[in-house]
Amino acid sequence: MGMRIRFWLALWSGKLISIALRILGKKGTTFPGLVANKVCPDFIKFLGTSFQGEIVLITGTNGKTTTNNMLASILKTADKTVAFNREGANMLPGIAGALLQNTSFGGRVKKSYLLLEVDEATVPRLCRQLTPGWAVVTNFFPDQLDRFGELDTTIKLVQEALPPSTKLILNADDPLVAQIGLNRTQAFYYGAASLPVSGSKNPESREGRYCLPCGHELFYEIFHYGQLGIYRCEQCGFKRPQPHIEAREVRQKQNGISFRLSIRPEYREGDSYGSQTVTQETGKYLIPLQGYYNLYNALAAVSAAECLGLSREDCKQGLLKFVSDAGRMEQFALPSCQLTLTLVKNPTGFNQVVSTLIELGRPMHLLLAINDLAADGRDISWLWDVDFERLVSDGLKLKTVICSGLRAEDMALRLKYADWSEDLISINKNLKEAVAELEAKQILPNEVVFVLPTYTALFPLREILNSKKVSSSPIISHTEVEGL
Amino acid sequence: MKLTLYHLYPDLLDFYGDRGNLLTFKARCRWRDIDLQIHPVSLGENIDFTQGDILFMGGGSDREQNFLIQDLSSRAQELKQAVEDGLVVLAIGGGYQLLGKYYQTVDGHKVPGLEIIDYYTVAGSKRMIGNVIAKVANPAHSKTDLNTLVGFENHAGKTYLGSGLSPLAEIVRGYGNNGEDGLEGVRYKNVWGTYLQGPLLPKNPHLADNILRAALKRRDYNSDLRMLDDSLEIRAHKAIVKRFS
Repeated sequence: MGMRIRFWLALWSGKLISIALRILGKKGTTFPGLVANKVCPDFIKFLGTSFQGEIVLITGTNGKTTTNNMLASILKTADKTVAFNREGANMLPGIAGALLQNTSFGGRVKKSYLLLEVDEATVPRLCRQLTPGWAVVTNFFPDQLDRFGELDTTIKLVQEALPPSTKLILNADDPLVAQIGLNRTQAFYYGAASLPVSGSKNPESREGRYCLPCGHELFYEIFHYGQLGIYRCEQCGFKRPQPHIEAREVRQKQNGISFRLSIRPEYREGDSYGSQTVTQETGKYLIPLQGYYNLYNALAAVSAAECLGLSREDCKQGLLKFVSDAGRMEQFALPSCQLTLTLVKNPTGFNQVVSTLIELGRPMHLLLAINDLAADGRDISWLWDVDFERLVSDGLKLKTVICSGLRAEDMALRLKYADWSEDLISINKNLKEAVAELEAKQILPNEVVFVLPTYTALFPLREILNSKKVSSSPIISHTEVEGL
Repeated sequence: MKLTLYHLYPDLLDFYGDRGNLLTFKARCRWRDIDLQIHPVSLGENIDFTQGDILFMGGGSDREQNFLIQDLSSRAQELKQAVEDGLVVLAIGGGYQLLGKYYQTVDGHKVPGLEIIDYYTVAGSKRMIGNVIAKVANPAHSKTDLNTLVGFENHAGKTYLGSGLSPLAEIVRGYGNNGEDGLEGVRYKNVWGTYLQGPLLPKNPHLADNILRAALKRRDYNSDLRMLDDSLEIRAHKAIVKRFS
């Protein structure tokens, strides 16, 4: 059978299946994509080559979904049409499914921007089929080690797969990411000059403290978090590249994170990214999210928007309008309390949540739901690399600690060895019962409630919480922002 | 009572949750008023193995192991002598492999090990990954009724013990040393070697206590460890046994 015929067959069967699924009241783009890929293995290639708009690929360990959605929010603010794959659907079938959904029966992609969140291990397979105009790499942290073998392998995989003609948008503060730009002519860097939590010492992460190009230990002037910071290698001269976009005056506010940007303007003319010229200061930005990792997601999205030639005003408004995704500091108003649901999946992300809790400084009730299914990573060793000790040593008042999920006992044991009082910790593997136990606690207005699940516990928990919530979560209003 | 633990190259051999083992040693000593000093040893640092009680060698990525083979091989003789004299060693994953005779890479090249114990490792074609349950060869004489070890393995190297060497345990579920002979780890003098990486000790309190006992005994301290309330540890251990065996 000719490839052309296969392509049309794949397209139509995929589209018909998604229509059938919709009639049956089922959501999901992955299954139709799976079928389309099976019928025509070059399905993505066919659609990709005929696509006239811009393709932006987003990969890295953390922040893919948020960055993708922030960029989509900016593009929509600028009245652009955007297609993007849904959270978690970041392997080939999910990507094919997203393309299917946005393609007519006549085979035309109906949108002008295609944003693809791509799992690190899928980058090589995807890039064999299409060449993205832009690729954003957010960070590399140890995550789901058992799936990839080792972090080094993952980095090499991504680095070698990105086509030479793809322009890169890289996190300058992560040495593991920044080194991808070495020997590339076109790389755009973003970073932060300093965060309120930055310091000269960082015992938290070991990964990346060694220079990937030469193996020598890196010298850090400033640590932000994890291996992110301002660094240089005294052996081979590799150092943090001067960012094209750099966040300054970063502040944690009640309603999010505010910052200013320094932008080096020269990259818009030609491709001479390296030269030093005068930087421009922009006004204040606000993202309605907590956690400094979300600042990096915003920087990645703004960088992509800059590269795509969008206006700064659209960037600002797009970020403001951004509504947190499922389980990313998502707010729920329950009859008994207001609670925050946020995904935890690796030490760096979890440590960021710990930092946020410390900065909030309130008495707290926690529900930790740890699963070890394939999508979570089977190995839960990483719980031992999270600094739970800090919550106790900072003298914060822990009022409730409920451990749930398939690995509830492991979670509880980890906390015991972090010196959390055993009397405080309860184990209930059933998510529904665990939520009921949390609701039964007396929660005062000045106290905070956090529900922290791994990936496969997130969606069931969301469903449970949604069924109990009294009203939808408040979205930030513009008047609040003006009061910055 | 005071014990010194040398943590070998924490910058390099500190992989994914090895920290759990140190936290366990530290807490279980603290709860019994034993003063455990943890001394991180860096590359090139000159240490006297005879002064230490416990040597802890964790896992590490391939890149990092290459760095340290050179550094360690200059001390192989001292370390061998210390092991023969009863130095207590817990060696996990990469650290376990290093104590053997060699590591044979995929292309047949033999990277020499420290040749302290008679076993060797051959790179396999697939990674052995997953939860492990193994029956302890010589059951712990603690008052817990645990006779298994539980943990997680993730290694490509297949290790084969020389004849006459005892394994640490026998596989009930998982791969262990090589996925072929049903053996897991090694027990030699006061050395415990294993592929159960990351936080091995928290869920295996009997193993942690056996190691501590060996260290106390060697110093001629009273090695009757005070019993602790290990109900949470045992619950977590049994949950794994129940779910995966």
